Amino acid sequence: MSAMLMMKQVTKTYGDGGQTMSVLHNLDLTVNEGEFVAVLGPSGSGKSTFLSTAGALLTPTSGEIYIDGEPLSNKDKRELTELRLQKIGFMFQSAQLLPYLKVEEQLLYVAKLAKLGTKEAKVRATYLLKRLEIWERRNHYPEQLSGGEKQRVAIARAWMNKPAILFADEPTASLDFQRGKEVVRMIAEEVKSEGKAAVMVTHDERMLEWCDRVLHLEDGILIEHL
Amino acid sequence: MFLALREMRHSKARYSLIMVIMLLVSFLVLFVTGLARGLAYANISAVENMPANYFAVQADADHAFRRSQLSDKELAAAQSVVGADKATALAVQTSTITADDADIKADITFFAVDMEGMLAPKVAQGNAITNGSTGSAVVDAKLEQSGVTIGSTIRDQASGMSWKVAGFVKDSSYSHTPVVYITQADWQAMKGGSVQDGAGEQATPYNVIALKASSAQAAEITSKLDHVDTITQKQAIASVPGYSAEQNSLLMMIVFLFVIAAFVLAVFFYVITIQKTSQFGILKAMGTKMSYLAWSVVGQVMILSVGSLAISLLLTFGMTMSLPDTMPFQLEGSTMILTSVLFIGMSLLGSLISVARVAKVDALEAIGRTGA
Repeated sequence: MSAMLMMKQVTKTYGDGGQTMSVLHNLDLTVNEGEFVAVLGPSGSGKSTFLSTAGALLTPTSGEIYIDGEPLSNKDKRELTELRLQKIGFMFQSAQLLPYLKVEEQLLYVAKLAKLGTKEAKVRATYLLKRLEIWERRNHYPEQLSGGEKQRVAIARAWMNKPAILFADEPTASLDFQRGKEVVRMIAEEVKSEGKAAVMVTHDERMLEWCDRVLHLEDGILIEHL
Repeated sequence: MFLALREMRHSKARYSLIMVIMLLVSFLVLFVTGLARGLAYANISAVENMPANYFAVQADADHAFRRSQLSDKELAAAQSVVGADKATALAVQTSTITADDADIKADITFFAVDMEGMLAPKVAQGNAITNGSTGSAVVDAKLEQSGVTIGSTIRDQASGMSWKVAGFVKDSSYSHTPVVYITQADWQAMKGGSVQDGAGEQATPYNVIALKASSAQAAEITSKLDHVDTITQKQAIASVPGYSAEQNSLLMMIVFLFVIAAFVLAVFFYVITIQKTSQFGILKAMGTKMSYLAWSVVGQVMILSVGSLAISLLLTFGMTMSLPDTMPFQLEGSTMILTSVLFIGMSLLGSLISVARVAKVDALEAIGRTGA
């Protein structure tokens, strides 16, 4: 079993001089293949910083992060962009689909960025949309979809390039309880079927039923409640 | 382009509106440019169509042809530098003519030239005249509209001399008046001097000398003759009375139109870009390269400006065909290409502000945002 995400002694401090604030404090985390990890924490606990750092959007002050075995510390901005494209799938709050792309095009766009062949991309998009039960909505614009449907498209988009790991930032925030649960179940299912990993950041404790591990972000470190 | 095209497909109304504005502005640019060129051509086509690239004028004449006075001595000196066939005298006289068989009175400009030299008029209709054919003239085709025909006799009001019209030339105006080409012998007669006189210092043989010369040769002539200036064809045209005033005001309009077009597009795209800041953050977080996003913005600007330009070119063509002949409108291929390239260039310049804005968007904005 290989580690899709490994964070070693990761520290992130903001500010300079005497006024520093440590948001992440020697944080250690390993997420293995096939694992769906939830990170819980109240707002202001540094969940966004945690996710941005793990997702190669923010450089940690110290410590090392490995995505699919690749260390991030010696990569420049361009290489990090490429790594996010190939190895990381993102899900954002309120889906954040591009308003001017139809459902299928949302998926084809990321495939195009990754220089995937048109035919291959079509096959993959069809497979994902069918699995997530939004195939019949493929020619709709996001504005014509419900919140749950949008998040399902976002799941499909995140998995499109077969990333090693998916990072979900409060994917259920704009959904009601039932739909939120449904979305989380689908993320979990995809983790199993793709054989990859996922980390979901949330503040909603009711959404944890499908997660393999639940961690709490407290004082800059992750604590596992068993 | 994937994003650029689909975004335009989705927001048709928004992009159509800006396209209409661009279309109107570019049409106006082309129209005013054509008008400026047309007016310029109607003004000084006789000078513009001369195969000369330099003119020797008297140093204190302020480059104005009619103020300059040069004699055979200067002509001989100029010919010794550039060769006999590349320097020829030109005499210019504005006057009013009447025609014997038509009830007209027209302002014209006499050009007295060597009918065997490089300034000899290229007759489009009728017969050419030679240096020996005194009493004959070749006139600009515009006089045809006033009722002058081949074989008509035109009479100079000031001197009372008359000429038989032998042929017509096209596009030969000077200071908005049609040009009447006469022989140098007739010129001497008109001015009261005599060709056979030889000494001829008291006579006023020519105004300027047209030259086909290199810049080094032009400089040589200037240094050889201390009271002579050599000016380029452009300078000569600019000193035709009224030309600069006419052209500069039109040029100002054109420049402003270019600036307006660039600003309209720049502001429009900047506002759209600001509106899409979070989208750009998401795109960057998902792994979209900055170069891709930059091309996306530039691509949209290109499509809009090229598209609106293409339509306005068509409109301009259509309009050119329906314009009456008397309307001075002229748009050559080269002017059109230059205008189009400038227009697109200015649009692209305007889009760079948006590109700079996109470059500043941080992928981090994607995380922890509730807003959609």
